[in-house]
Amino acid sequence: MITQEKYRSKAKKLLAEGSVKMVIGYSPGSTPDRRRPVFIRSFDEADQLVLDSNCIANLSGYLVSEGLLSDEKHVAIFLRPDGIRSINILAAESQLNVDQIIIFGFDTNGNEVRALTGEHAGEFSEFIGSIKEHPPEKSRDPLLYQIEQMNPQERFAFWKDEFSRCIKCYACRQACPMCYCRRCIVDSNQPQWINTSSHTLGNFEWNVVRAFHLAGRCVGCGNCDRACPVNIPLRLINSRMAEEVLDSFDHFAGLNPAQEPVLASFKKDDSETFIL
Amino acid sequence: MSELFEPKIIAFVCTYCTYAGADLAGTSRLKYAPNVRIIRLPCTGRISPMFILKALQKGADGVLVSGCHPGDCHFTHGNYHARRRWMVFRSLLDFMGIQPERVIFSWISAAEGGKFADLINTVTEDIRKLGPFDQYKELIRETEAPATL
Repeated sequence: MITQEKYRSKAKKLLAEGSVKMVIGYSPGSTPDRRRPVFIRSFDEADQLVLDSNCIANLSGYLVSEGLLSDEKHVAIFLRPDGIRSINILAAESQLNVDQIIIFGFDTNGNEVRALTGEHAGEFSEFIGSIKEHPPEKSRDPLLYQIEQMNPQERFAFWKDEFSRCIKCYACRQACPMCYCRRCIVDSNQPQWINTSSHTLGNFEWNVVRAFHLAGRCVGCGNCDRACPVNIPLRLINSRMAEEVLDSFDHFAGLNPAQEPVLASFKKDDSETFIL
Repeated sequence: MSELFEPKIIAFVCTYCTYAGADLAGTSRLKYAPNVRIIRLPCTGRISPMFILKALQKGADGVLVSGCHPGDCHFTHGNYHARRRWMVFRSLLDFMGIQPERVIFSWISAAEGGKFADLINTVTEDIRKLGPFDQYKELIRETEAPATL
């Protein structure tokens, strides 16, 4: 509550003095435990802002909406640590200018909400570095161990079963702050890489390709996982890929706004044990 | 006696090294398994993981990806980029249940005609042992339009 009041008054102040044109935050949702993104443009609307442990969505994707930042005005946004990492990646990929973003950083621990110190993306680098060094105690998803124990046939069958439910609604893509391509590979029809029907064959490729495109970029905010209407455990694939880039290339996505994207850079001594 | 299974293998190779290596194997009259369909590309950096998936989607039993040795790339660092991509893509395929033995990566220079012929033979034998990629082919069969290669 204290954090909520603090950020509400800060939002009011920034909007009143005109130093930001918009505050992107959370407002009450359709049920008591849900929160809905809200876009505040004037200081008298700022009382709609809510901040509590139910504010889990990563809002950073709204920043790359067409035209939002092109007038070079500032925008304030509520972000969890994973959201701040998303901003860093978007900046590293030249999708936005971090100087235009005022961060209202917060983190939750149970029902407790605490504010993070800092206003600009660069000020959080040390904090994000500490998350890399000391990952939160949240244990690795037990399903991941289960999948790793399976043999390839069982794993294929597991994913085939999961993807057979996919209806190709692309909610995962729409919810993901990293999926900003104007033209997604799945929308391309010449050549058509992925079958558009929601058959398991095309579903398989779609989900593999999305996971590959997120490798080294996913921050594990869980937007895709929550958006999936058929509950495919997309977080498993993405967190497996995040582990892979951390182990192989010591890459932790979104450390700072100047971090080189992992698949757009290389080292001459990268491991190549698998190449004949 | 049942007929010997002849796997379909697609090879994505770079034009400067492995394709020239394959040429050398041919002009040296080296004999190798006829199961590989070669697709020539400008550089291993041009090989999108989509190509590999597409090959499997069209009924390949195995995929071979090959290019210049590190440091030899015609475009100076295309293969370094490719190497990182493969590292990640390989572990992704493994996690999704596609045996890593079905997707093989190698470096073959223009002078290694012998290595090319040997590799094709061992890869063909390995994939023959694994058998057809039935799980994937079942998915293909279930779709309306049967895939052809």
